[in-house]
Amino acid sequence: MNEISFRNVVLPLGDRLYRLALRITLNKAEAEDVVQDTLLRVWERRGEWEQIANPEAFATTVCRNLALDAVKRAGRNATSLDKVDNGQWSAANGQLQVASGQSEMESREQLSLLRRLMDGLPEAQRTIMLLRDIEGKTYKEIAAAMGISETQVKVYLHRARTKIKEQIWTTNI
Amino acid sequence: MDYKYIEQLLERYWECQTTLEEEAILRAFFRQEDVPASLLPYRQLFAEEDKMADEHLSEDFNERLLARIGETLPAAGQPEGGFFKAHRLTLVRRLSPFYRAAAVIAIMLTIGNAAFQSMSGEADNAPQVAATLPSDSLQHPAIGGPEHQSAALAPQPADTLAK
Repeated sequence: MNEISFRNVVLPLGDRLYRLALRITLNKAEAEDVVQDTLLRVWERRGEWEQIANPEAFATTVCRNLALDAVKRAGRNATSLDKVDNGQWSAANGQLQVASGQSEMESREQLSLLRRLMDGLPEAQRTIMLLRDIEGKTYKEIAAAMGISETQVKVYLHRARTKIKEQIWTTNI
Repeated sequence: MDYKYIEQLLERYWECQTTLEEEAILRAFFRQEDVPASLLPYRQLFAEEDKMADEHLSEDFNERLLARIGETLPAAGQPEGGFFKAHRLTLVRRLSPFYRAAAVIAIMLTIGNAAFQSMSGEADNAPQVAATLPSDSLQHPAIGGPEHQSAALAPQPADTLAK
């Protein structure tokens, strides 16, 4: 991150980081807090910017970790969503069990069935779907941001897409 | 209308074999109004993803963040100040490209001039040598006979050189 400008390089990443945090926390206020903490962390490490080759990948990794921490702190870890993924889909009846607060549940009921299906995917699959399908990242960039191999990225993405495809047909959305 | 291409793309999409460009084609296709009934079930997936792409931070987010850092955003139209890295350029540093260009031109001119002088020097010497030769040696080439050769190669009398 040579000659980085916080305003010109880091701040514009805010919306992307927000979407990532939102896909993990599934809560808008919490996602904003995560993005703020992420950018503050980047700012606090300004002395090391010279050594950071890719600011976006760095910020994405920090943001993802903070979002996962936030989910854990709130007592509704990402695995509660993953359980839904493991054969416990009941979305066809509109009863997707997401361990979250009552108000969040109410607002989630207003979401489309497909959206709830997507939110019910395991965190890694949700995140990879976001980075690929919404942010338009290459497999290489996703692998770098998540600290996994490109092959693993493709495996997760394939699982996510296959699940969505199956659900589209079985629930006849 | 034939949707084979889209169907093929879609199949490759599910298998994660599409490029980002091909995925953009699919997205553009499903944004259209006229999507055939056989492909209609997939439209909502792309529509949902479009909605997700349209999620943004609240408008005052940057200001709140910068306030926490201890800075404020510059007024609209004003250059950014604050904590981003700025390099003050001295006049010498600002003009350094011109100095470099001038130095290169000077070197090229020197080399060019030296080359030109050495070449023109050789050219100038040739007539001088010819001028030292007697006029009859030019009229009688060496192939004319051994006596002519020896005459041409023999030292010239002082009065010939004086010419």
